[in-house]
Amino acid sequence: MENIIEINNLVAKYDTKIILDNISLSIKKKEIFIILGSSGGGKTTLLKHIIGLIKPVSGTIDIFGQEVTKMDNDKFDDILTQIGMLFQGGALINSMKVWENVAIPLEQHTELAPNIIRDLVKQKLSLVNLEHAFNLYPSELSGGMKKRVALARAIAMDPKILFFDEPSAGLDPITALELDELILELKEKLGITLVIVTHELESIKRIADRILYLQKGKNIFVGTLEEARAESIDEIDRFFGWK
Amino acid sequence: MYNVSKNIIKFDNSFLISDIDNFIDDLKKYGTNISVVQIDLSKVETFDNSVLAVVNSLIKKKYRFSLSEKLVAEIKIFDKLISFNEKETIVTSGFENLVIKFNDFISQIISFIVLSADIFFYSIRSIFSKSGRRKGSIYEQILLMGNNAVPIVFLLAFLIGLILSLQSAAQLRQFGANIYLVDLIVISMITEMGPMITAIIVAGRSGSAIAAEISTMQITEELDALKVMALNPLKYVVAPKMIAMTISLPILTIFANIIGIFGGFIIAVIYLELSPIVFFNRAVDVMTLSFWWQSMLKSVLFSWLIVLIGAHFGFNVKGGAEGVGKATTASVVAAIFAVIMTDALLSIIFYFDF
Repeated sequence: MENIIEINNLVAKYDTKIILDNISLSIKKKEIFIILGSSGGGKTTLLKHIIGLIKPVSGTIDIFGQEVTKMDNDKFDDILTQIGMLFQGGALINSMKVWENVAIPLEQHTELAPNIIRDLVKQKLSLVNLEHAFNLYPSELSGGMKKRVALARAIAMDPKILFFDEPSAGLDPITALELDELILELKEKLGITLVIVTHELESIKRIADRILYLQKGKNIFVGTLEEARAESIDEIDRFFGWK
Repeated sequence: MYNVSKNIIKFDNSFLISDIDNFIDDLKKYGTNISVVQIDLSKVETFDNSVLAVVNSLIKKKYRFSLSEKLVAEIKIFDKLISFNEKETIVTSGFENLVIKFNDFISQIISFIVLSADIFFYSIRSIFSKSGRRKGSIYEQILLMGNNAVPIVFLLAFLIGLILSLQSAAQLRQFGANIYLVDLIVISMITEMGPMITAIIVAGRSGSAIAAEISTMQITEELDALKVMALNPLKYVVAPKMIAMTISLPILTIFANIIGIFGGFIIAVIYLELSPIVFFNRAVDVMTLSFWWQSMLKSVLFSWLIVLIGAHFGFNVKGGAEGVGKATTASVVAAIFAVIMTDALLSIIFYFDF
Protein backbone atom coordinates (compact mmCIF):
# COMPACT_ATOMS: atom_id res chain seq x y z
CA MET A 1 0.00 0.00 0.00
CA GLU A 2 0.99 3.54 -0.72
CA ASN A 3 2.24 5.86 2.03
CA ILE A 4 0.03 8.89 2.60
CA ILE A 5 2.15 10.47 5.36
CA GLU A 6 5.89 10.13 5.74
CA ILE A 7 7.86 11.57 8.61
CA ASN A 8 11.64 11.63 8.62
CA ASN A 9 13.92 12.46 11.55
CA LEU A 10 11.41 14.80 13.16
CA VAL A 11 12.73 16.72 16.17
CA ALA A 12 10.56 18.97 18.35
CA LYS A 13 11.49 21.12 21.32
CA TYR A 14 9.70 23.33 23.79
CA ASP A 15 12.39 25.80 24.84
CA THR A 16 15.30 23.43 25.44
CA LYS A 17 13.30 20.35 26.37
CA ILE A 18 13.21 17.74 23.63
CA ILE A 19 9.65 16.55 23.08
CA LEU A 20 10.09 14.48 19.94
CA ASP A 21 13.43 12.82 19.38
CA ASN A 22 14.20 11.86 15.81
CA ILE A 23 10.87 10.34 14.87
CA SER A 24 10.61 8.56 11.53
CA LEU A 25 7.53 6.70 10.38
CA SER A 26 5.13 6.28 7.53
CA ILE A 27 1.36 5.97 7.53
CA LYS A 28 -0.29 3.99 4.78
CA LYS A 29 -3.38 4.85 2.79
CA LYS A 30 -6.68 3.64 4.26
CA GLU A 31 -5.32 2.37 7.52
CA ILE A 32 -6.16 3.17 11.11
CA PHE A 33 -2.94 4.27 12.69
CA ILE A 34 -2.92 4.64 16.46
CA ILE A 35 -0.43 6.79 18.33
CA LEU A 36 -0.02 5.76 21.94
CA GLY A 37 2.35 6.13 24.80
CA SER A 38 2.61 7.37 28.33
CA SER A 39 1.36 10.83 29.32
CA GLY A 40 3.76 13.57 28.29
CA GLY A 41 5.27 11.21 25.72
CA GLY A 42 4.73 13.63 22.85
CA LYS A 43 1.63 12.15 21.20
CA THR A 44 -0.37 15.36 20.86
CA THR A 45 2.79 17.25 19.91
CA LEU A 46 3.39 14.80 17.05
CA LEU A 47 -0.18 15.27 15.88
CA LYS A 48 0.13 19.06 15.99
CA HIS A 49 3.30 18.86 13.92
CA ILE A 50 1.67 16.77 11.23
CA ILE A 51 -1.23 19.20 10.84
CA GLY A 52 1.15 22.15 10.82
CA LEU A 53 0.07 23.88 14.04
CA ILE A 54 3.68 23.67 15.21
CA LYS A 55 6.74 23.80 13.00
CA PRO A 56 9.47 21.25 13.73
CA VAL A 57 13.01 22.13 14.77
CA SER A 58 14.31 19.76 12.14
CA GLY A 59 13.14 16.87 10.02
CA THR A 60 10.58 16.55 7.23
CA ILE A 61 6.91 15.66 6.97
CA ASP A 62 5.44 14.55 3.64
CA ILE A 63 1.68 14.55 3.19
CA PHE A 64 0.27 13.29 -0.13
CA GLY A 65 3.89 13.12 -1.29
CA GLN A 66 4.56 16.84 -0.67
CA GLU A 67 7.00 18.15 1.90
CA VAL A 68 4.98 20.44 4.15
CA THR A 69 7.25 21.82 6.87
CA LYS A 70 8.62 24.58 4.67
CA MET A 71 5.61 24.99 2.47
CA ASP A 72 4.03 28.45 2.14
CA ASN A 73 0.67 29.01 3.78
CA ASP A 74 -1.52 29.12 0.67
CA LYS A 75 -0.19 25.82 -0.59
CA PHE A 76 -0.48 24.24 2.82
CA ASP A 77 -4.10 25.41 3.00
CA ASP A 78 -4.82 23.23 -0.04
CA ILE A 79 -3.53 20.26 1.88
CA LEU A 80 -5.47 21.23 4.99
CA THR A 81 -8.73 21.23 3.05
CA GLN A 82 -8.17 17.51 2.44
CA ILE A 83 -7.58 16.88 6.14
CA GLY A 84 -9.99 16.73 9.06
CA MET A 85 -9.10 17.02 12.71
CA LEU A 86 -11.09 16.25 15.79
CA PHE A 87 -9.78 18.07 18.86
CA GLN A 88 -9.91 16.70 22.37
CA GLY A 89 -12.67 18.99 23.61
CA GLY A 90 -14.31 19.29 20.21
CA ALA A 91 -13.13 22.90 19.73
CA LEU A 92 -16.47 23.98 18.30
CA ILE A 93 -16.88 27.71 17.76
CA ASN A 94 -19.03 28.59 20.74
CA SER A 95 -20.60 31.67 19.23
CA MET A 96 -22.03 29.68 16.32
CA LYS A 97 -24.83 27.13 16.18
CA VAL A 98 -24.12 23.45 15.59
CA TRP A 99 -25.10 23.52 11.94
CA GLU A 100 -23.07 26.69 11.35
CA ASN A 101 -20.06 24.98 12.87
CA VAL A 102 -20.37 22.03 10.53
CA ALA A 103 -20.93 24.40 7.63
CA ILE A 104 -17.74 26.44 8.19
CA PRO A 105 -15.41 24.44 5.92
CA LEU A 106 -18.09 24.07 3.23
CA GLU A 107 -18.90 27.79 3.24
CA GLN A 108 -15.27 28.82 3.16
CA HIS A 109 -13.72 26.36 0.74
CA THR A 110 -16.48 25.57 -1.72
CA GLU A 111 -18.72 27.58 -4.01
CA LEU A 112 -21.77 25.50 -3.14
CA ALA A 113 -25.16 27.17 -2.81
CA PRO A 114 -26.45 27.71 0.75
CA ASN A 115 -29.25 25.16 0.41
CA ILE A 116 -26.81 22.50 -0.81
CA ILE A 117 -24.53 23.27 2.13
CA ARG A 118 -27.50 22.92 4.50
CA ASP A 119 -28.30 19.54 3.03
CA LEU A 120 -24.69 18.39 3.38
CA VAL A 121 -24.66 19.58 6.98
CA LYS A 122 -27.87 17.62 7.65
CA GLN A 123 -26.32 14.52 6.07
CA LYS A 124 -23.23 14.74 8.29
CA LEU A 125 -25.27 15.39 11.42
CA SER A 126 -27.47 12.38 10.68
CA LEU A 127 -24.35 10.31 10.21
CA VAL A 128 -23.34 11.07 13.81
CA ASN A 129 -26.95 10.75 15.08
CA LEU A 130 -27.34 14.40 16.00
CA GLU A 131 -30.24 15.51 13.84
CA HIS A 132 -31.92 17.10 16.85
CA ALA A 133 -28.90 19.31 17.62
CA PHE A 134 -29.08 21.17 14.29
CA ASN A 135 -30.17 24.49 15.76
CA LEU A 136 -28.52 24.28 19.17
CA TYR A 137 -25.44 26.08 20.44
CA PRO A 138 -22.37 24.04 21.49
CA SER A 139 -22.87 25.12 25.11
CA GLU A 140 -26.20 23.26 25.12
CA LEU A 141 -24.54 19.93 24.25
CA SER A 142 -22.94 17.26 26.40
CA GLY A 143 -19.25 16.39 26.03
CA GLY A 144 -19.96 13.35 23.90
CA MET A 145 -22.34 15.26 21.64
CA LYS A 146 -19.77 18.02 21.15
CA LYS A 147 -17.27 15.41 20.00
CA ARG A 148 -19.74 14.00 17.54
CA VAL A 149 -20.51 17.46 16.15
CA ALA A 150 -16.77 18.03 15.85
CA LEU A 151 -16.55 14.75 13.95
CA ALA A 152 -19.32 15.88 11.63
CA ARG A 153 -17.38 19.09 11.03
CA ALA A 154 -14.13 17.20 10.49
CA ILE A 155 -15.70 15.01 7.78
CA ALA A 156 -17.71 17.82 6.22
CA MET A 157 -15.26 18.18 3.33
CA ASP A 158 -14.88 14.40 2.85
CA PRO A 159 -11.22 14.51 3.88
CA LYS A 160 -8.68 11.92 2.84
CA ILE A 161 -7.03 11.88 6.26
CA LEU A 162 -8.73 12.29 9.60
CA PHE A 163 -6.86 13.03 12.82
CA PHE A 164 -8.32 12.33 16.25
CA ASP A 165 -6.96 13.60 19.55
CA GLU A 166 -8.32 11.20 22.18
CA PRO A 167 -11.76 10.70 20.63
CA SER A 168 -13.20 8.40 23.28
CA ALA A 169 -11.71 10.07 26.35
CA GLY A 170 -14.52 10.90 28.77
CA LEU A 171 -17.15 8.93 26.84
CA ASP A 172 -19.18 6.12 28.31
CA PRO A 173 -18.37 2.62 26.96
CA ILE A 174 -21.46 2.45 24.76
CA THR A 175 -20.87 5.82 23.10
CA ALA A 176 -17.20 4.92 22.74
CA LEU A 177 -18.19 1.68 21.00
CA GLU A 178 -20.51 3.56 18.65
CA LEU A 179 -17.71 5.98 17.87
CA ASP A 180 -15.38 3.09 17.08
CA GLU A 181 -17.98 1.59 14.76
CA LEU A 182 -18.31 4.96 13.08
CA ILE A 183 -14.54 5.13 12.68
CA LEU A 184 -14.43 1.66 11.08
CA GLU A 185 -17.29 2.68 8.80
CA LEU A 186 -15.40 5.80 7.71
CA LYS A 187 -12.43 3.67 6.81
CA GLU A 188 -14.40 0.96 4.98
CA LYS A 189 -16.98 3.05 3.16
CA LEU A 190 -15.11 6.26 2.44
CA GLY A 191 -11.56 4.95 2.38
CA ILE A 192 -10.34 7.55 4.85
CA THR A 193 -6.96 7.21 6.53
CA LEU A 194 -7.31 7.69 10.27
CA VAL A 195 -4.58 8.79 12.66
CA ILE A 196 -5.74 8.50 16.25
CA VAL A 197 -4.17 9.41 19.58
CA THR A 198 -5.81 7.34 22.28
CA HIS A 199 -5.34 5.53 25.57
CA GLU A 200 -8.43 3.36 25.45
CA LEU A 201 -7.25 -0.26 25.30
CA GLU A 202 -10.60 -1.67 24.19
CA SER A 203 -10.84 0.85 21.42
CA ILE A 204 -7.29 0.16 20.24
CA LYS A 205 -7.95 -3.57 20.09
CA ARG A 206 -11.12 -2.99 18.11
CA ILE A 207 -9.88 -0.62 15.46
CA ALA A 208 -6.08 -0.50 15.20
CA ASP A 209 -4.38 -1.56 11.99
CA ARG A 210 -0.97 -0.42 13.18
CA ILE A 211 0.29 1.33 16.28
CA LEU A 212 3.11 3.71 17.12
CA TYR A 213 4.37 3.63 20.68
CA LEU A 214 6.07 6.83 21.87
CA GLN A 215 8.07 6.90 25.06
CA LYS A 216 9.58 10.16 26.23
CA GLY A 217 9.56 11.44 22.67
CA LYS A 218 11.22 8.35 21.22
CA ASN A 219 9.65 6.02 18.73
CA ILE A 220 10.04 2.61 20.38
CA PHE A 221 7.68 0.58 18.23
CA VAL A 222 5.75 0.78 14.96
CA GLY A 223 3.71 -2.14 13.65
CA THR A 224 0.59 -4.22 14.13
CA LEU A 225 -0.68 -5.38 17.50
CA GLU A 226 0.38 -8.96 16.75
CA GLU A 227 3.91 -7.79 15.97
CA ALA A 228 3.94 -5.75 19.17
CA ARG A 229 2.94 -8.81 21.14
CA ALA A 230 5.54 -10.98 19.41
CA GLU A 231 8.33 -8.50 20.05
CA SER A 232 7.50 -8.34 23.77
CA ILE A 233 8.83 -4.90 24.57
CA ASP A 234 8.52 -4.40 28.31
CA GLU A 235 6.80 -1.00 28.17
CA ILE A 236 4.21 -2.07 25.61
CA ASP A 237 3.51 -5.36 27.37
CA ARG A 238 2.75 -3.42 30.53
CA PHE A 239 0.57 -0.96 28.62
CA PHE A 240 -1.65 -3.71 27.24
CA GLY A 241 -1.42 -5.87 30.35
CA TRP A 242 0.16 -8.74 28.40
CA LYS A 243 2.56 -9.38 31.20
CA MET B 1 -5.05 10.24 75.08
CA TYR B 2 -2.23 11.00 77.49
CA ASN B 3 -1.44 12.10 81.00
CA VAL B 4 1.30 14.28 82.39
CA SER B 5 3.12 13.35 85.56
CA LYS B 6 6.29 15.04 86.72
CA ASN B 7 8.23 15.54 83.52
CA ILE B 8 6.83 12.57 81.70
CA ILE B 9 4.07 12.83 79.06
CA LYS B 10 2.73 9.36 78.66
CA PHE B 11 0.33 8.29 75.92
CA ASP B 12 -1.95 5.26 76.02
CA ASN B 13 -2.34 3.23 72.84
CA SER B 14 -3.72 6.05 70.69
CA PHE B 15 -2.40 9.45 69.61
CA LEU B 16 -4.64 11.23 67.11
CA ILE B 17 -4.93 14.62 65.45
CA SER B 18 -7.50 15.66 68.13
CA ASP B 19 -4.82 15.32 70.85
CA ILE B 20 -2.22 17.44 69.12
CA ASP B 21 -3.44 20.89 70.22
CA ASN B 22 -3.46 20.05 73.93
CA PHE B 23 -0.22 18.13 73.65
CA ILE B 24 1.59 21.07 72.06
CA ASP B 25 0.19 23.43 74.74
CA ASP B 26 1.47 21.14 77.47
CA LEU B 27 4.80 20.90 75.76
CA LYS B 28 5.09 24.69 75.59
CA LYS B 29 5.01 24.90 79.39
CA TYR B 30 8.56 23.58 79.41
CA GLY B 31 9.73 26.42 77.18
CA THR B 32 13.21 25.89 75.88
CA ASN B 33 13.95 23.32 78.53
CA ILE B 34 13.71 20.51 76.02
CA SER B 35 15.92 18.01 77.74
CA VAL B 36 13.80 17.89 80.91
CA VAL B 37 10.67 16.50 79.32
CA GLN B 38 10.30 12.85 78.42
CA ILE B 39 7.60 11.84 75.93
CA ASP B 40 6.54 8.25 76.17
CA LEU B 41 4.90 6.90 73.01
CA SER B 42 6.00 3.32 73.52
CA LYS B 43 2.42 2.04 73.74
CA VAL B 44 1.00 4.04 70.84
CA GLU B 45 -0.34 1.77 68.11
CA THR B 46 -3.12 3.98 66.65
CA PHE B 47 -2.03 7.27 65.11
CA ASP B 48 -2.51 9.34 61.99
CA ASN B 49 -0.36 11.25 59.53
CA SER B 50 -0.51 14.58 61.34
CA VAL B 51 0.89 12.84 64.42
CA LEU B 52 3.72 11.47 62.30
CA ALA B 53 4.47 14.96 61.03
CA VAL B 54 4.41 16.50 64.52
CA VAL B 55 6.51 13.77 66.16
CA ASN B 56 8.96 13.79 63.25
CA SER B 57 9.53 17.53 63.57
CA LEU B 58 9.82 17.30 67.39
CA ILE B 59 12.43 14.56 67.09
CA LYS B 60 14.41 16.85 64.82
CA LYS B 61 14.18 19.53 67.52
CA LYS B 62 15.84 17.04 69.88
CA TYR B 63 12.88 16.26 72.15
CA ARG B 64 13.31 13.03 73.99
CA PHE B 65 10.97 10.29 72.85
CA SER B 66 10.44 6.66 73.50
CA LEU B 67 8.60 5.25 70.52
CA SER B 68 6.73 2.07 69.74
CA GLU B 69 8.18 -0.10 66.98
CA LYS B 70 5.30 0.70 64.67
CA LEU B 71 5.90 4.44 65.13
CA VAL B 72 9.61 4.11 64.47
CA ALA B 73 8.93 2.32 61.22
CA GLU B 74 6.23 4.73 60.06
CA ILE B 75 8.27 7.81 60.94
CA LYS B 76 11.17 6.46 58.93
CA ILE B 77 8.93 6.07 55.89
CA PHE B 78 7.36 9.48 56.47
CA ASP B 79 10.74 11.18 56.70
CA LYS B 80 11.84 9.53 53.48
CA LEU B 81 8.70 10.71 51.67
CA ILE B 82 9.24 14.33 52.63
CA SER B 83 12.94 14.40 51.91
CA PHE B 84 12.77 15.69 48.33
CA ASN B 85 13.72 19.25 47.46
CA GLU B 86 10.90 21.65 46.84
CA LYS B 87 11.51 23.18 43.47
CA GLU B 88 12.84 26.57 44.37
CA THR B 89 11.43 29.63 42.74
CA ILE B 90 14.22 31.81 41.54
CA VAL B 91 14.48 34.83 43.78
CA THR B 92 15.70 37.85 41.91
CA SER B 93 16.85 41.16 43.21
CA GLY B 94 14.79 44.29 42.73
CA PHE B 95 16.94 45.52 39.90
CA GLU B 96 16.99 42.18 38.08
CA ASN B 97 13.24 42.08 38.44
CA LEU B 98 13.01 45.48 36.84
CA VAL B 99 15.16 44.33 33.93
CA ILE B 100 13.02 41.24 33.44
CA LYS B 101 9.85 43.32 33.51
CA PHE B 102 11.31 45.82 31.08
CA ASN B 103 12.38 43.06 28.67
CA ASP B 104 8.93 41.54 28.97
CA PHE B 105 7.35 44.89 28.17
CA ILE B 106 9.58 45.39 25.13
CA SER B 107 8.81 41.94 23.76
CA GLN B 108 5.10 42.60 24.31
CA ILE B 109 5.38 45.83 22.36
CA ILE B 110 7.17 44.07 19.53
CA SER B 111 4.61 41.29 19.35
CA PHE B 112 1.86 43.91 19.46
CA ILE B 113 3.37 45.73 16.48
CA VAL B 114 3.77 42.51 14.50
CA LEU B 115 0.20 41.46 15.27
CA SER B 116 -1.11 44.91 14.36
CA ALA B 117 0.63 44.80 11.01
CA ASP B 118 -0.90 41.38 10.32
CA ILE B 119 -4.35 42.52 11.36
CA PHE B 120 -4.14 45.62 9.12
CA PHE B 121 -2.99 43.48 6.22
CA TYR B 122 -5.80 40.94 6.56
CA SER B 123 -8.43 43.58 7.30
CA ILE B 124 -7.59 45.51 4.15
CA ARG B 125 -7.58 42.27 2.16
CA SER B 126 -10.91 41.38 3.73
CA ILE B 127 -12.49 44.56 2.39
CA PHE B 128 -11.81 43.49 -1.16
CA SER B 129 -12.24 39.73 -0.99
CA LYS B 130 -14.88 37.74 0.80
CA SER B 131 -12.78 34.60 1.08
CA GLY B 132 -11.79 33.54 4.55
CA ARG B 133 -14.48 35.38 6.44
CA ARG B 134 -18.06 34.62 7.30
CA LYS B 135 -20.85 36.08 5.27
CA GLY B 136 -22.58 38.82 7.21
CA SER B 137 -19.96 38.87 9.93
CA ILE B 138 -19.11 42.56 9.47
CA TYR B 139 -22.78 43.56 9.62
CA GLU B 140 -23.21 41.36 12.69
CA GLN B 141 -20.25 43.04 14.40
CA ILE B 142 -21.48 46.54 13.55
CA LEU B 143 -24.78 45.69 15.23
CA LEU B 144 -23.00 44.25 18.24
CA MET B 145 -20.34 46.91 18.75
CA GLY B 146 -21.98 49.99 17.26
CA ASN B 147 -25.74 49.69 17.34
CA ASN B 148 -25.98 48.14 20.79
CA ALA B 149 -23.74 50.84 22.26
CA VAL B 150 -26.03 53.66 21.10
CA PRO B 151 -28.17 54.12 24.25
CA ILE B 152 -25.27 54.24 26.70
CA VAL B 153 -23.14 56.47 24.46
CA PHE B 154 -26.04 58.87 23.93
CA LEU B 155 -26.87 59.07 27.60
CA LEU B 156 -23.29 59.63 28.75
CA ALA B 157 -22.48 62.14 26.01
CA PHE B 158 -25.59 64.09 26.93
CA LEU B 159 -24.69 64.11 30.62
CA ILE B 160 -21.08 65.11 29.93
CA GLY B 161 -22.25 68.00 27.75
CA LEU B 162 -24.71 69.05 30.42
CA ILE B 163 -22.22 68.93 33.30
CA LEU B 164 -19.44 70.57 31.35
CA SER B 165 -21.62 73.55 30.42
CA LEU B 166 -23.21 73.82 33.85
CA GLN B 167 -19.82 74.12 35.53
CA SER B 168 -18.51 76.64 32.99
CA ALA B 169 -21.72 78.63 32.78
CA ALA B 170 -21.48 79.66 36.41
CA GLN B 171 -18.01 81.08 35.79
CA LEU B 172 -18.72 82.69 32.43
CA ARG B 173 -21.81 84.40 33.81
CA GLN B 174 -19.76 86.38 36.33
CA PHE B 175 -17.94 88.05 33.43
CA GLY B 176 -21.01 88.39 31.27
CA ALA B 177 -19.34 86.12 28.76
CA ASN B 178 -22.42 83.94 28.35
CA ILE B 179 -22.09 83.60 24.59
CA TYR B 180 -18.67 81.95 24.91
CA LEU B 181 -20.32 78.91 26.45
CA VAL B 182 -21.19 77.97 22.88
CA ASP B 183 -17.54 78.05 21.81
CA LEU B 184 -16.51 76.10 24.83
CA ILE B 185 -19.03 73.32 24.50
CA VAL B 186 -18.76 72.99 20.70
CA ILE B 187 -14.98 72.85 20.60
CA SER B 188 -14.49 70.67 23.65
CA MET B 189 -17.21 68.22 22.70
CA ILE B 190 -16.13 67.79 19.08
CA THR B 191 -12.40 67.67 19.54
CA GLU B 192 -12.01 66.09 22.97
CA MET B 193 -14.92 64.77 24.96
CA GLY B 194 -16.95 63.26 22.13
CA PRO B 195 -14.28 60.99 20.67
CA MET B 196 -12.76 60.16 24.05
CA ILE B 197 -15.95 59.35 25.94
CA THR B 198 -17.22 57.22 23.08
CA ALA B 199 -13.91 55.39 22.81
CA ILE B 200 -13.77 54.72 26.55
CA ILE B 201 -17.31 53.33 26.62
CA VAL B 202 -16.67 51.18 23.57
CA ALA B 203 -13.34 49.99 24.99
CA GLY B 204 -15.18 48.88 28.10
CA ARG B 205 -17.97 47.21 26.15
CA SER B 206 -16.38 45.80 23.02
CA GLY B 207 -12.64 45.87 23.72
CA SER B 208 -13.19 43.59 26.68
CA ALA B 209 -15.54 41.41 24.65
CA ILE B 210 -12.94 41.03 21.92
CA ALA B 211 -10.24 40.03 24.41
CA ALA B 212 -12.59 37.61 26.18
CA GLU B 213 -13.79 36.01 22.98
CA ILE B 214 -10.36 35.53 21.44
CA SER B 215 -8.73 34.31 24.65
CA THR B 216 -11.53 31.79 25.21
CA MET B 217 -11.16 30.59 21.64
CA GLN B 218 -7.43 30.24 22.26
CA ILE B 219 -7.75 28.07 25.36
CA THR B 220 -10.54 25.89 23.98
CA GLU B 221 -8.46 25.21 20.83
CA GLU B 222 -11.08 26.90 18.66
CA LEU B 223 -8.36 28.97 16.99
CA ASP B 224 -6.37 25.81 16.26
CA ALA B 225 -9.50 24.22 14.84
CA LEU B 226 -9.90 27.20 12.49
CA LYS B 227 -6.28 26.89 11.38
CA VAL B 228 -6.73 23.19 10.63
CA MET B 229 -9.77 24.07 8.54
CA ALA B 230 -7.37 26.22 6.50
CA LEU B 231 -8.85 29.43 7.92
CA ASN B 232 -6.79 32.27 9.25
CA PRO B 233 -8.09 33.39 12.66
CA LEU B 234 -6.93 36.94 11.98
CA LYS B 235 -9.05 37.00 8.87
CA TYR B 236 -11.96 34.97 10.18
CA VAL B 237 -12.25 36.40 13.68
CA VAL B 238 -10.39 39.72 13.93
CA ALA B 239 -10.76 41.35 10.50
CA PRO B 240 -14.58 41.64 10.69
CA LYS B 241 -14.26 43.28 14.11
CA MET B 242 -11.59 45.65 12.83
CA ILE B 243 -13.66 46.75 9.85
CA ALA B 244 -16.87 46.98 11.90
CA MET B 245 -15.18 49.04 14.60
CA THR B 246 -13.60 51.40 12.07
CA ILE B 247 -17.09 52.09 10.76
CA SER B 248 -19.04 52.16 14.04
CA LEU B 249 -16.85 54.22 16.32
CA PRO B 250 -16.68 57.36 14.12
CA ILE B 251 -20.45 57.22 13.58
CA LEU B 252 -21.04 56.85 17.31
CA THR B 253 -18.66 59.74 17.85
CA ILE B 254 -20.57 62.02 15.48
CA PHE B 255 -23.76 61.33 17.40
CA ALA B 256 -22.01 61.75 20.75
CA ASN B 257 -20.69 65.14 19.65
CA ILE B 258 -24.10 66.37 18.59
CA ILE B 259 -25.86 65.06 21.68
CA GLY B 260 -23.18 66.53 23.95
CA ILE B 261 -23.64 69.92 22.32
CA PHE B 262 -27.39 69.50 22.79
CA GLY B 263 -26.70 69.02 26.52
CA GLY B 264 -24.86 72.36 26.47
CA PHE B 265 -27.71 73.91 24.54
CA ILE B 266 -30.14 73.05 27.31
CA ILE B 267 -27.98 74.72 29.95
CA ALA B 268 -27.42 77.75 27.73
CA VAL B 269 -31.10 78.24 27.12
CA ILE B 270 -32.41 77.45 30.58
CA TYR B 271 -29.61 78.66 32.85
CA LEU B 272 -27.91 81.38 30.83
CA GLU B 273 -31.12 82.43 29.07
CA LEU B 274 -29.46 82.52 25.65
CA SER B 275 -31.93 82.45 22.83
CA PRO B 276 -31.87 79.20 20.80
CA ILE B 277 -31.27 81.15 17.58
CA VAL B 278 -28.22 82.88 19.05
CA PHE B 279 -26.87 79.53 20.26
CA PHE B 280 -27.42 77.96 16.85
CA ASN B 281 -25.81 80.78 14.87
CA ARG B 282 -22.82 80.97 17.16
CA ALA B 283 -22.41 77.17 17.07
CA VAL B 284 -22.36 77.12 13.28
CA ASP B 285 -19.78 79.93 13.28
CA VAL B 286 -17.47 78.12 15.68
CA MET B 287 -17.86 74.67 14.20
CA THR B 288 -15.18 74.63 11.50
CA LEU B 289 -14.55 71.60 9.37
CA SER B 290 -11.10 71.14 10.84
CA PHE B 291 -12.58 70.36 14.26
CA TRP B 292 -14.66 67.63 12.68
CA TRP B 293 -11.62 66.21 10.91
CA GLN B 294 -9.79 66.15 14.21
CA SER B 295 -12.70 64.38 15.82
CA MET B 296 -12.92 61.76 13.07
CA LEU B 297 -9.18 61.18 12.95
CA LYS B 298 -9.14 60.58 16.66
CA SER B 299 -12.08 58.22 16.67
CA VAL B 300 -10.65 56.14 13.80
CA LEU B 301 -7.33 55.83 15.65
CA PHE B 302 -9.15 54.94 18.86
CA SER B 303 -11.18 52.27 17.09
CA TRP B 304 -8.01 50.61 15.83
CA LEU B 305 -6.37 50.80 19.25
CA ILE B 306 -9.36 49.16 20.91
CA VAL B 307 -9.49 46.21 18.50
CA LEU B 308 -5.71 45.73 18.30
CA ILE B 309 -5.24 45.82 22.06
CA GLY B 310 -8.18 43.48 22.63
CA ALA B 311 -6.80 41.05 20.05
CA HIS B 312 -3.27 41.29 21.45
CA PHE B 313 -4.34 40.33 24.96
CA GLY B 314 -6.69 37.69 23.59
CA PHE B 315 -4.05 35.91 21.54
CA ASN B 316 -1.44 36.07 24.30
CA VAL B 317 -3.63 34.52 26.99
CA LYS B 318 -1.92 32.16 29.42
CA GLY B 319 -3.61 29.59 31.62
CA GLY B 320 -7.26 28.66 31.75
CA ALA B 321 -10.37 30.50 32.85
CA GLU B 322 -8.30 32.69 35.14
CA GLY B 323 -6.22 33.78 32.15
CA VAL B 324 -9.33 34.91 30.29
CA GLY B 325 -10.27 37.18 33.19
CA LYS B 326 -6.79 38.62 33.38
CA ALA B 327 -6.61 39.19 29.63
CA THR B 328 -9.97 40.93 29.63
CA THR B 329 -9.11 43.25 32.49
CA ALA B 330 -5.66 44.02 31.10
CA SER B 331 -7.09 44.80 27.67
CA VAL B 332 -9.60 47.31 29.03
CA VAL B 333 -7.02 49.05 31.19
CA ALA B 334 -4.50 49.15 28.35
CA ALA B 335 -7.09 50.32 25.82
CA ILE B 336 -8.34 53.18 27.98
CA PHE B 337 -4.76 54.19 28.77
CA ALA B 338 -3.83 54.11 25.09
CA VAL B 339 -6.92 56.10 24.13
CA ILE B 340 -6.22 58.88 26.64
CA MET B 341 -2.50 58.97 25.78
CA THR B 342 -3.21 59.19 22.08
CA ASP B 343 -5.82 61.84 22.68
CA ALA B 344 -3.38 63.96 24.68
CA LEU B 345 -0.69 63.55 22.05
CA LEU B 346 -2.98 64.47 19.18
CA SER B 347 -4.44 67.43 21.05
CA ILE B 348 -0.95 68.83 21.60
CA ILE B 349 -0.05 68.27 17.97
CA PHE B 350 -3.22 69.97 16.72
CA TYR B 351 -3.03 72.79 19.24
CA PHE B 352 0.45 73.81 18.16
CA ASP B 353 -0.41 73.02 14.56
CA PHE B 354 2.71 70.96 13.93
